[in-house]
Amino acid sequence: MVTSDQPIQHHQRLLSDDINSPRNFKLLEELEKGEKGLGAESCSYGLSDADDMTMTHWNATILGPPNSNHENRIYSLTIECGPEYPDKPPVVKFISKINLPCVDQKTGLVPTNKFPLLNGWKRTYSMEIVLLELRKEMAHGVNRKLPQPAEGETF
Amino acid sequence: MSLPKRIIRETERLTSDPVPGITATPHEDNLRYFDVTVEGPASSPYESGNFKLELFLPDDYPMVAPKVRFLTKIYHPNIDRLGRICLDVLKSNWSPALQIRTILLSIQALLSSPNPNDPLANDVAQAWKDDEKKAIVTAREWTQMYAK
Repeated sequence: MVTSDQPIQHHQRLLSDDINSPRNFKLLEELEKGEKGLGAESCSYGLSDADDMTMTHWNATILGPPNSNHENRIYSLTIECGPEYPDKPPVVKFISKINLPCVDQKTGLVPTNKFPLLNGWKRTYSMEIVLLELRKEMAHGVNRKLPQPAEGETF
Repeated sequence: MSLPKRIIRETERLTSDPVPGITATPHEDNLRYFDVTVEGPASSPYESGNFKLELFLPDDYPMVAPKVRFLTKIYHPNIDRLGRICLDVLKSNWSPALQIRTILLSIQALLSSPNPNDPLANDVAQAWKDDEKKAIVTAREWTQMYAK
């Protein structure tokens, strides 16, 4: 479990070595990590359409953190990496209903201005870092015990 | 960050003495990132196709191989649905003595001689082994559809 106040430093090992890596090669690197299961066990991600050569649309899951109202829940999300990724952050949206301050309660969207990691986005970040930070958010402070919608509901 | 001399020399030579049927042009804003085109070799199922690829030289190049991917859809047992290429010189058989030029020639050669026995797990490789004639017809169709 990551417990530091400086989340990004803890994720150094997740960062791509090549800061200038173009979008497609960065996404291929992320995909390979996801396919081989080399990343964190508490989250997963993969292409929505295995034939999508543009690698734009992704599906992801986050396993709810222990000792919280999210425990044992599996949250589904979509991630959209546009043509300007990773210079611009991805569009992250929950499919599973979740009550969190950083999640729009009508649409499931995680608005950039409500989530510091997206707001201060750097091109060395990755989809995995986004998912791990969202998971930390679920376990953080009052969020841990926020009442949650019935399991299985979707936005 | 300045560009290593080796990369400058390779880039210059790709322009001044181009490989027949192959072009490689660096992006203006990232000189390690190339737009590549490869003509389908004569008497292969890819003949008359013009395939787009992208190539990137990582920081550690030439200690590590260039990264290369097809951007044009192609039906080939050693190239997957995302355009990733299974080629020994891009992986374990890379050597710093190889160059962008030699890699692109190897890719062109791979189009001439598809190898369905290569371990890349791929439904195309299986189709190729099951019925080579039919697979070649499909490869020609894809060339007409996507590589024009």
